[in-house]
Amino acid sequence: MIIDTQLASLFTAGALIVIGIFAAVFLDNLIKKVIGLAFIGDGANLFLIAMGYKPGGIVYIYLPGMARDWFAQNAAYPLPFALVLTSIVIGASTMAVMLGIIMVLYKRRGSLKASKVLGE
Amino acid sequence: MNLLIPLMVIVPIICALFLNLLHKKDRTVKVIAIALALTLPLLPILANYGLHYFGGYAPLAQNSAISAGLPSLITGTALNTFHPAITYAFQDAQKLFIFILGLVALLAILVSLYETKRPSGVYGYMMFMGVAAMMAIILTDDIFNFYVFFEIAALATVGVVLVSQIKGNYETALKYMILGSIASPLLLLGIALLLGVTGNVNITDIMASLKSGVVDPQNPVLLMACGLIVFGWLYGSGLPPFHTIKSAIYSKALPHGAALLQAFSVFTFVALGIIIIRIFSYLPFSQMVILGVSLLAMILGITMALLQTDIKRMIGFLAVGELGYIGIGLGLGTVSGITAGLFQAVNEVVITAFLFIGFGAIYYQTGESDIRKLGGMMVKTPLVALLVLLAGFAMAGVPPLNAFQSKLMLIQSSIQAGVPELGVIMILLSIVTFMTFMKAFHAVFLRPKPADLEIKNEKIPKATILALLVFLVVCIVFGLFPQLATGFLQNLSVSLAGGMP
Repeated sequence: MIIDTQLASLFTAGALIVIGIFAAVFLDNLIKKVIGLAFIGDGANLFLIAMGYKPGGIVYIYLPGMARDWFAQNAAYPLPFALVLTSIVIGASTMAVMLGIIMVLYKRRGSLKASKVLGE
Repeated sequence: MNLLIPLMVIVPIICALFLNLLHKKDRTVKVIAIALALTLPLLPILANYGLHYFGGYAPLAQNSAISAGLPSLITGTALNTFHPAITYAFQDAQKLFIFILGLVALLAILVSLYETKRPSGVYGYMMFMGVAAMMAIILTDDIFNFYVFFEIAALATVGVVLVSQIKGNYETALKYMILGSIASPLLLLGIALLLGVTGNVNITDIMASLKSGVVDPQNPVLLMACGLIVFGWLYGSGLPPFHTIKSAIYSKALPHGAALLQAFSVFTFVALGIIIIRIFSYLPFSQMVILGVSLLAMILGITMALLQTDIKRMIGFLAVGELGYIGIGLGLGTVSGITAGLFQAVNEVVITAFLFIGFGAIYYQTGESDIRKLGGMMVKTPLVALLVLLAGFAMAGVPPLNAFQSKLMLIQSSIQAGVPELGVIMILLSIVTFMTFMKAFHAVFLRPKPADLEIKNEKIPKATILALLVFLVVCIVFGLFPQLATGFLQNLSVSLAGGMP
C-alpha cells in the first residue's frame, strides 16, 4: 500500500508535536524536557515542509532549455523550504541558549530535576 | 528617503554587534551606545512614508520590466499583485510607535549606562537586538518575518534577564524559554497553516486572497490557524495564562531593562493584535476572543498587582492589566475604540517605563525592591518621589496626564459600542490601579525608614533624572494635546475597523 507522502508527513509532524508537548509538560528531567521541546519545533518544521510538497513536482531550479510554462506548472513551491531553513536556525539558537542555562543551573544546584531546579 | 525604513532595523542590529565585540572597552561602549541610541527616535522622524521591498522586488503589477517576459499563468492571475519580497510598511501609526519605542530605548539605554559602574557590551547587545526585533515587528507586513523577529525578541528578553545577575534570574529565564519553546512552534504552525491554505505569508496578500474569494474564508483550517496564532499572541504579550511568567521576567531584570522589556510586550501585543484583526476579523467570534482575553488580563493583572511586595513584579502585573485596556479598544472594533486602544498602548509604554525607571532609582540607591524592606525615601530623594507620584497618577488615569485621555476615550467608545459595562469595569480597575500604586508609594517614600535599610549609592545619576523628566513631558504633552498622538493613529484605525463607525 502506497501512503501519501504529504499525509504521512503531516501525521508524523502531529505525532512529534504531541510527544514533544507531553515530554515538556510531564517529564521532570530538564534535558528530556529540552528534547521534547526540540520535537515540537521539528514537528512544526516538518509540517511547514509538507506544505511545500508537490506530487511529481520538480526541484525549483530553472535550468536552460526548460519551457517556462512547463516549469511554472511543475516546480514545487519554494517558499516553505526557504522558511524552514530560517526556522531551523532559530530553533538551534533557542536550544543552545536553553542548554547553556541548564548547564549553569546544574553547576549551581547539582541536579537536572525541574522540580528541584525550577521549584515546581 | 525610503532607504531609512530598513535602517530603523539595521542600525540597532549593527550597534548590537559592535557593542558585543567591544565588551569591556567601557568608554567606547558608552560612546557608541549613546550615539546610535540617539538615532533610534530620529530615524522615524526623518523617514518618508512608504513601502520598502527587500531586494527591490515590487509586485509584478508595478514592475513591467520583469512581468513582460512572464507567461500569462503568472501575469494573468492574482500572482501579478502578490508581494514576492519581504515588505516593510511605514505609515503614520508606525511612525508614532517607532518614535516612542526609540525614545524609551534611548532613555533606558542612557540610564543603564550611568547606573552601572562598568557599561556592559553584552547587556547593550541584548537591548539593541531587542529594539531591532521590535522595530521589525512593527514594520513588517510579512507574518513569517514577524515570527523570526518575535523569536529574536524572546531571546533578547532572556538575555536581558540573564545579564541582570539578580537572584533567581536563570531559573525564571529557563521557565520563560520552556514556555516559549512550546508557544512559538505553535505560532509557527499557525503560520504554516495560513501558508498552506493561502499560499502566502504576506499579510496584505493573505487578506486579498480571503476577500477576493481565491481562498474560502470558511475553510476550517483557517480557524485552527487563528487559534494557534492567538496562542502565540498570549505568550508574546504576557496575557493570561502567561501573565505570571511575564511579570516574573520583569522582576528579574534590572529596572532599565524591565522598562524596555515591557515596551517589547506592548508592541508585540499591538502588532500581533493588528495582524489578527486584519486577517481574521471576518470570523464572528474574533472580537469576542480579543475582548474576553483583554478583560481577563485586566482583572487578573491589576488584582494580582495588589498582592505583590516586589515593586518590579507589581509594576509588571500592572503592565499586564494595562494591556487589557488596549485589547478592549481593539476588540470593540470601532474607529474610536481602536484609536483609543492604540493611544493607550503608546501611553502605557511611556508610563510603565517611567515607573520602572522611577522606582529603579530607589533600587539603584538601596539595592532593594521589596517594599517591606523600604521606607523613608521621600527625605532622601524628594524629586524622584514627586516624579514617581506623577507617573503613578498617569497610570491610574488622573487628569491632565496622558492615560486620562486614552482611558476616557476607551470608556466613551465602549458606551458608543453599546457595552457600557466595560466602561464601568475599566473605571473600577483604574481605582484599584491607583490603590495599588499608592500602597507601594507609601511603603517606599512616606513611611519611616527601616533601621536596617542601607543606602548604597547616595547620588542618583543625572541621566536617570533626565529620563524621568522626559517621560513626564511626554505624559503632559499627550495629556493636554491628545490629537498629537491620535492624529497618527486615525488612518490605521479606519482601515482596521473595516467600515464600522
